[in-house]
Amino acid sequence: MLRAERLVKTYRAPSGSALRVLDGIDLKIAGGELALVLGPSGAGKSTLLHVLGLLEEADAGDVWFGEERVSALGRSARSRARGCSVGFVFQSFLLLPALTALDNVLLATRYVGTGGAATRRRALALLEEFGVLARRDHYPPQLSGGEQQRVAFCRAVVNDPPILLADEPTGNLDDDNARVIREALRGRARAGAAVLVVSHRPDVVGGADTVVRLQGGMLAC
Amino acid sequence: MLLRGYAFTVAGIAIGVAGLVALGAMSERIVRFIEGGDRFVLGQISVAGRGMGMGAGFTAGGLLPDATIRALAAVPGVEGVQRQVMLPFNPSASQFITLTHELVLGLDLSVPMPNRHYRTLPVRAGRFLRDGDRKTAVVGAAFAAARGLGVGSRLTLEGQTYEVVGVMERTLTAPDRFVIVPIADAREQWVAKDPLLRTLLASGAVALTAADLNTGAAVGWREGEDPDALARRIRERVGGVNVQIPSELSALLRSSTAFFSSLLAGLAALGVVIGGLSVANTVAAAVFERLRDFGIKRALGATDVQLGREVLAEALAVTLSGGLAGIALALVLGLAIDGWSAPGQPLFLFSPRLLGGALAFSVLLAAAAALHATLRVARLSPAEAIRRGA
Repeated sequence: MLRAERLVKTYRAPSGSALRVLDGIDLKIAGGELALVLGPSGAGKSTLLHVLGLLEEADAGDVWFGEERVSALGRSARSRARGCSVGFVFQSFLLLPALTALDNVLLATRYVGTGGAATRRRALALLEEFGVLARRDHYPPQLSGGEQQRVAFCRAVVNDPPILLADEPTGNLDDDNARVIREALRGRARAGAAVLVVSHRPDVVGGADTVVRLQGGMLAC
Repeated sequence: MLLRGYAFTVAGIAIGVAGLVALGAMSERIVRFIEGGDRFVLGQISVAGRGMGMGAGFTAGGLLPDATIRALAAVPGVEGVQRQVMLPFNPSASQFITLTHELVLGLDLSVPMPNRHYRTLPVRAGRFLRDGDRKTAVVGAAFAAARGLGVGSRLTLEGQTYEVVGVMERTLTAPDRFVIVPIADAREQWVAKDPLLRTLLASGAVALTAADLNTGAAVGWREGEDPDALARRIRERVGGVNVQIPSELSALLRSSTAFFSSLLAGLAALGVVIGGLSVANTVAAAVFERLRDFGIKRALGATDVQLGREVLAEALAVTLSGGLAGIALALVLGLAIDGWSAPGQPLFLFSPRLLGGALAFSVLLAAAAALHATLRVARLSPAEAIRRGA
C-alpha cells in the first residue's frame, strides 16, 4: 500500500554544510501491516515520515500510495492524496487550539469533502470509542495530554485512511494512555491499513510485523 | 468559533480603523466647510459699499446707500437685490471678521433670497423669518447649541429682547454661527453698536435714512446670465461699490483656505497610512501567527485554494468586526470630544461616505494583506509550517 523507492533528503545549514538524512531509502508496507522504524533522535525518522506522508518533498526518489506515484503529483493533487489516504498521529498532538475536540476531528473531513450527518456520527462514535466523548465540546488546552492524543487519533482515522503514520505517538503519554494508543495502532493494522510508527523506543508498539532501524540515512533490519 | 483567538487582532484593527475614521472625520469637516462656503459665494454676487465700515462681514466694505441699491437693481441682467446688514455679534471679541466668527445678519425679507444655491436657508426647528417680523431671530445650529437656544427662547441683542422663532439645520459652514434678524432690527443694532454712526446721525451732518443703512447686498442674476460678466457690468455701471466676481471670490476663498486644504490632505494621508498600516500589519501578523495551524490543515489535506479561502473568510470576518468596532470607537471618541470641547461646533464629521469608505478600504487592505501572507505561507511545506509555527 505504501511504497518508497530511493528516497534522498538533504538539509543544508545556512553555512552551506549539508546533512543527508535520507540516503536512498527503500520501504514497502502492505495493507494490514504494522511497521516500526527505530532510531535515535536526529536520525531522520520524522523526516522519513514527513516525506512518506507528503508533508515534505524528497530531493530524489518516489513515494507510491498503492499504484499511484504520489510524489509526482502537483501541489493540489498531493494535498488531496494526503487528505484522502493518510492519517497522522504526532507526538505533540497538533490539535488546533481554537477548535473543540469534536471540531478538531471533523476538520479532517472538511478538506476531503466527507462532511455531513454520517461523518459527524462517525466522529462522535470514535470519540466515544476512545473515551473522550464527554470532552467533545472542550478545547485542547482544557484536555489532558492523553485526552488530546486520543482526540488526535480520532482525527487521524475519521476518514478511514488506508495509511496511518505515527511519529512518537506515545512519547508524551502516561502508561495507560500509551496502551490505548498502542492498541489503537494495532487495531488499524488489523483493519487493513498500512501503519508506520517511528520512534526511538523499541517498546513504543508491541507486535510490529516489521521492525527496521534508521541509521546514517539508511534502513537496516 | 470563527473569531476565537482573534481578540487582539480585532482590537488591533479596531484601533487602526478608529484612527483612520477619526482623522478622516476631521478632513470631512474641513471639506464640508470649504465646499459650503464655495457653494454660497457661487450662488450670488456680493456687493458692498466701497470703504471699510465696521459692519464689514464677508463683504468687507462700507455703507451701501439706498440709491446705490436701486442702481444695482437697474443693471441689465439683475434679477433681484436683497439688502443686508452684517455685523459682528460681539464687536469686542475681535477686530477680525473670520469664517468662524459669530455674526448678526439682517435680511430684507420683502424680496426673495437671490442666492441660487440657497433660495431658503434650511430650518431644523420652527420657521424662517417672514416679511413684517420684528424682534425675532433665526439662529444657526452652532450658535443655538452654544447657548442652549431653541424655538421660543429669548435672546438679548444690544439690550433688546428677541424671540427665537427658528433654528437652522447644521450646515457645518458659516451660517451655523449666524443670528439672522429682520433688516430693520439689524439696522437698530448697528446704530447701537457704532458710536461714530450714532454721532453722525445725531448731528444731521449727513443725510441718511434707515434705508441707507446697508452693509451689503446679495444680487441675483437672470436665467442664462453669466454671473461673472454681470458682476463686471455692475462694476462698470455702479460707482462706489465693491463687487465680488463669484468665480474670483470662490478662488479667493479656496486660496485663503489653502492651509486647510493642505491640512486636509495631510490628515487624509496620515489616516490612510496609519490606519492602513495598522490593519495590514495586524492581519498579516495574525496569519503568520497561525502558521502552525495552516501547516496542520495542509497536513489534513487542505489545498492552497481551500486554505486561501479560509484565510480570506477569517480575515474578512475579523476585519469587519474590527472595522465596525473601530468605527464605533471613533464615533464615541469624536462625539465625546465634540461635546466636551466645543458644543455646537463639531470638529468631526462622520459622513456615510467616510464610514463606508473606511470600512471598504480596511476590508480590501486586509484581504490583500491576508492574501500576501497566505501566499508566503503556502510556499512552505506542511512540515516546515508546523516546525516554524511551533
